[in-house]
Amino acid sequence: MRVTTRLALALVLPGFLAPLAARADEPCQSPYIQKLVGQEDFVYVWTLGIEGLGDGSDKLVTIGVNPARPDYGKVVSQLSVGGRHEAHHAGFTDDRRQLWAGGLDTSQIFVFDLASDPANPKLVNTIRDFVEKSGGVVGPHTFYPIPGRMLISALSNAADNGGKTALVEYTNDGSYVRTIWLPAGAEYGYDVRVNPHLNRMLTSSFAGRDNYMRPLGELLKDAEAMKRFGNTMVVWDFHARKPLQTLAVPGAPLEIRWAQGPRHEYAFTSAALTSKLWGVFRKDDGTFEAVELADIGDPAKVPLPVDISLSSDDRFLFVDSFMDGTVRVFDVAEPRKPKLVLEQKLGSQLNMVSQSWDGKRVYFTSSLLANWDGIGGDDEQFLRVFGWDGKALMPKFSVDFRAEKLGRPHIMHFGQAGFFAGAPKSEEVAARP
Amino acid sequence: MSAALLLLLALGAAAPRFEPPPPGSYELPPLGRVGAHTLLGSDGAPAPLLALAPGEAALVAFVYLHCPDACPMAHAAMQALDRDLAARPELAGRVTLVTVSFDPARDTPERMEALRRALAPRGRWRFFSAESPSAIDPVLADFGQDALRVAGAGGELQVASHTLKVFLVDSERRIRNVYSSGFLDPRILRNDLLSVLAE
Repeated sequence: MRVTTRLALALVLPGFLAPLAARADEPCQSPYIQKLVGQEDFVYVWTLGIEGLGDGSDKLVTIGVNPARPDYGKVVSQLSVGGRHEAHHAGFTDDRRQLWAGGLDTSQIFVFDLASDPANPKLVNTIRDFVEKSGGVVGPHTFYPIPGRMLISALSNAADNGGKTALVEYTNDGSYVRTIWLPAGAEYGYDVRVNPHLNRMLTSSFAGRDNYMRPLGELLKDAEAMKRFGNTMVVWDFHARKPLQTLAVPGAPLEIRWAQGPRHEYAFTSAALTSKLWGVFRKDDGTFEAVELADIGDPAKVPLPVDISLSSDDRFLFVDSFMDGTVRVFDVAEPRKPKLVLEQKLGSQLNMVSQSWDGKRVYFTSSLLANWDGIGGDDEQFLRVFGWDGKALMPKFSVDFRAEKLGRPHIMHFGQAGFFAGAPKSEEVAARP
Repeated sequence: MSAALLLLLALGAAAPRFEPPPPGSYELPPLGRVGAHTLLGSDGAPAPLLALAPGEAALVAFVYLHCPDACPMAHAAMQALDRDLAARPELAGRVTLVTVSFDPARDTPERMEALRRALAPRGRWRFFSAESPSAIDPVLADFGQDALRVAGAGGELQVASHTLKVFLVDSERRIRNVYSSGFLDPRILRNDLLSVLAE
């Protein structure tokens, strides 16, 4: 009998289900998400509007990135949300059918349907009462899917626009669930990432609205304001959502990337203001330690490391730095001894980096924050795509977001035309007997 | 280590390296309420999907029998929990396990009955199918369970893939937690049940 046979096979042949392990994650995405492991067809770019450029509004831009398709290297679609909200980060729901995208200035959240037509996302919901529902949380940043809901880490609060902030949960259909404020002594927030195998969640820390909405040149001269950046990471019991440990990581630790190997019990982050690469390692007693691993460029020149991306085999860590427009690639096969294997300037400024699951394609964008971009003088805005062979970046194509009148490109996520093929459309469901 | 936990490990999950938080030490806020649905039991007769008395709870897993990887993980986790509950009579009478196929074109009540026999429940563990995709789709939408279907050889729609989700539902039909392959740990399921049942 088929069922009995299947179960018996599973019991005696562990390798029978090996593909599940191989598909356990996509680089830098939540481990709870449906992943895209083949050639991506589209990259969705959450883009800040620029006054006087095009319609001037924030928008979701879809770029064709599959060389086998006629739309390769072209803008496939663009969907304005109306107004400028300081478009920043975005994340898929666990089933990848929707993309939630946030505005750091207005704290609005835009929910795009990707499943109906992956080439042409549709805006299906706008959450305008995030601040009220959450009890005064401001600046939704990371959108991190967990089963059936969205976990959102924020940057600020409505009481003083400072760095004290919280994690906020919504159901996938957009209903508010709860707010969890960061603990005393580590109140600042930025990124959130979970390691299910360890039941541990890490959060990092940046700055409040008063700082991130202020022009960078002005901010750097304000010694008091420069004290109001995060210097901590928090280790949480994920299931209980309870803080367990506060780690000292000076200089605004930003993006967090857990290693994905089942015995790889560590994560990386970069500290923006001190230009340091850090590791967070699980110790034998189950607690964690934060270890300074390497300089990122010359810290004296404040290169401002921003986004990082760890390959799915935990081998290469890409680190972008904003001020010098440079990507540095570290070989982190020995995570406590990272080796710099590539340093390459990609533009006048550089922020986000995303790599395909197989690590063969790497995508970069230029914008950090509307009031921080262009501090070096040249406010170029681009998406640049490269091949990666473990040694060198090979240019594939670039999209000039100014020439295309799109705006400031920020976070990137991948889509595939056939990812939802076979999904019943609502009219089909209704028409069936 | 139980055979079911061994199976979970064989399914690709390394041995969990944590102790779950104790029951009652954390919150499980409601994630919405599901409606009263009627589906086909494994005996072929219509039956309510959830028939919970006050003080009871259920775990609901959506599966399909052609599922190559994730669904066996759900079966294994549910079976581990079934065995665990059987050893805890104070809990066994208050918990219902529910396995629902959302591939009615292929997973008939007879096939679900075969699955039930293969898994050999020791406690309350019910198996459901549906008359047609249109009968199961409102249930999927209500729970927030995605499913991709493709046309089979005969033109009928068959499930091709889904995101594995198991739902903890309290006696008021409120979803209290959702589990996927990354967190389908029988110890977590048990402690969450204990937390909800202690309210």
